[in-house]
Amino acid sequence: MTCSLQLVATVIGHDQRVWQAKWNPAAKLLASCSADRSVRLYHYTQKENAITVDLAAVIETGHRRSVRSIAWAPSGKSLATASFDSTIGIWEPVNGSAGSASTEWECSSTIEGHENECKCVSYSTTGTLLATCGRDKSVWIWEVQPDSEYECISVLMEHTQDVKCVAWHPTAEVLVSASYDNTLKLYMDDPADDWYCFATLKGHASTVWCATFSPCGKFLASCSDDGNIIVWRPTNDDDSIVGDWKEVCRFAGHTGPIFSISWAERNPMDKDAVGLLASGGADGSIYLWVVKPGGTTAEKVACIENAHEADINSVDWSEGEGGGLYLASASDDGLVKVWQLQC
Amino acid sequence: MATQTYNANPTLFAPSSQSFRKNNADTLWLKHSDTDSEEDEDESPIDAQEVFDLLRSINDPEHPLTLEELKVLSRDQVTVEGNHVTVEFTPTTPACGMANVIGLAIMVRLYRSLPQRYKVRIGMTPGSHQHVAQVTKQLNDKERVAAAMEVDAIMESINNCLSTAGRRGEK
Repeated sequence: MTCSLQLVATVIGHDQRVWQAKWNPAAKLLASCSADRSVRLYHYTQKENAITVDLAAVIETGHRRSVRSIAWAPSGKSLATASFDSTIGIWEPVNGSAGSASTEWECSSTIEGHENECKCVSYSTTGTLLATCGRDKSVWIWEVQPDSEYECISVLMEHTQDVKCVAWHPTAEVLVSASYDNTLKLYMDDPADDWYCFATLKGHASTVWCATFSPCGKFLASCSDDGNIIVWRPTNDDDSIVGDWKEVCRFAGHTGPIFSISWAERNPMDKDAVGLLASGGADGSIYLWVVKPGGTTAEKVACIENAHEADINSVDWSEGEGGGLYLASASDDGLVKVWQLQC
Repeated sequence: MATQTYNANPTLFAPSSQSFRKNNADTLWLKHSDTDSEEDEDESPIDAQEVFDLLRSINDPEHPLTLEELKVLSRDQVTVEGNHVTVEFTPTTPACGMANVIGLAIMVRLYRSLPQRYKVRIGMTPGSHQHVAQVTKQLNDKERVAAAMEVDAIMESINNCLSTAGRRGEK
């Protein structure tokens, strides 16, 4: 079983390394953020096997340092930015819809709380919660209130080092964080008390750069500086996600650190599989993995060597119209590339 | 920046023979686009000697002496395999509080000088420092290095160390 990724667009624009590129879940927009402190928004149109990408807007964020991470709200109507300047920015269209090419974007809120570099930002699936993390070893959970007000409802100090990534479960209000302390932690809300950490996942030998739940919610994948990807699942057989999680499989392919993974819901090749996992790392390559039913094995189905000439910092799947699967990759080479899955 | 001297009387060593390659003189302040050009790469494939030449005259943060003179770095502590560059350095004392600064100076110098496709890993001589694992993990974390490079106070001391780097072993 093989497939390939066809390069369909190369997006030039940032002056410095691109940290992330993320598809808008509702509109035909791709956003990227960079060490040049800007966010660039691209409008795209698809025609059969082609995709055309046009610059829609440049947000000069006003962040005083790199914009490290971005996250779209599930509505697609607001965008959060996490910066090394310790703040989080919330951006919304001034008028009109997010997908319109003429839309201007303004900062509707600036969230302060972290002591130093913010590393990641993530909206919950319902869009009612926002999670942030940073070098101050903390994870913050914010409630999204009307009129772009964000109220801190919990500060979790569970990690012993820099927290690199936060990501929400697709259906439950469960959060995962990944850290420089080589562990992952899972959190949920105790309605009678505060948010708490209910599981610590140990298995990686170095920094865990990224974590993502499978679209079905039954699995979790993490990638590390140690070059491994690990798939985890709950220890409980009843699929209850609250409780301990165990490693069910690990696989490697990249040379050096893996910085980002993304898990596509559909898998055109194998409908029984747990989606299709893409990974990108310091070797500039992109790998595609089919995670088999049960999550106990994974098969490498594609490897695009030198997808970028420098480190790949992020990969993100979008399920396009008409069944197409597109992957956006962002790199230290200053480029964002769009790849189409071909099977 | 340093309020405390970690090694007041370091042992000195004479620089090894002069570099045999002096092309492109000082690449310290060249932009990536300049060093990236095809022509440049064709003329000078990068080897361990070239990497050592880029690093040998970096100034120690505490002394008006180079990393080579202090034997913090020697030619055989640099290896180049394909596009993988590995540099190991040896702090002058196991308690050297400047190990991070020295390592960061090496990283910044190579980040500015080498084409982007080169991957740099930095290490410290085993047993040479009380926090070898901790310091090397931080130096090899690209995000931490990127963040440090945005802090003016840190870059001021790094740029001081790098002000002599262009001598490439010459006095």
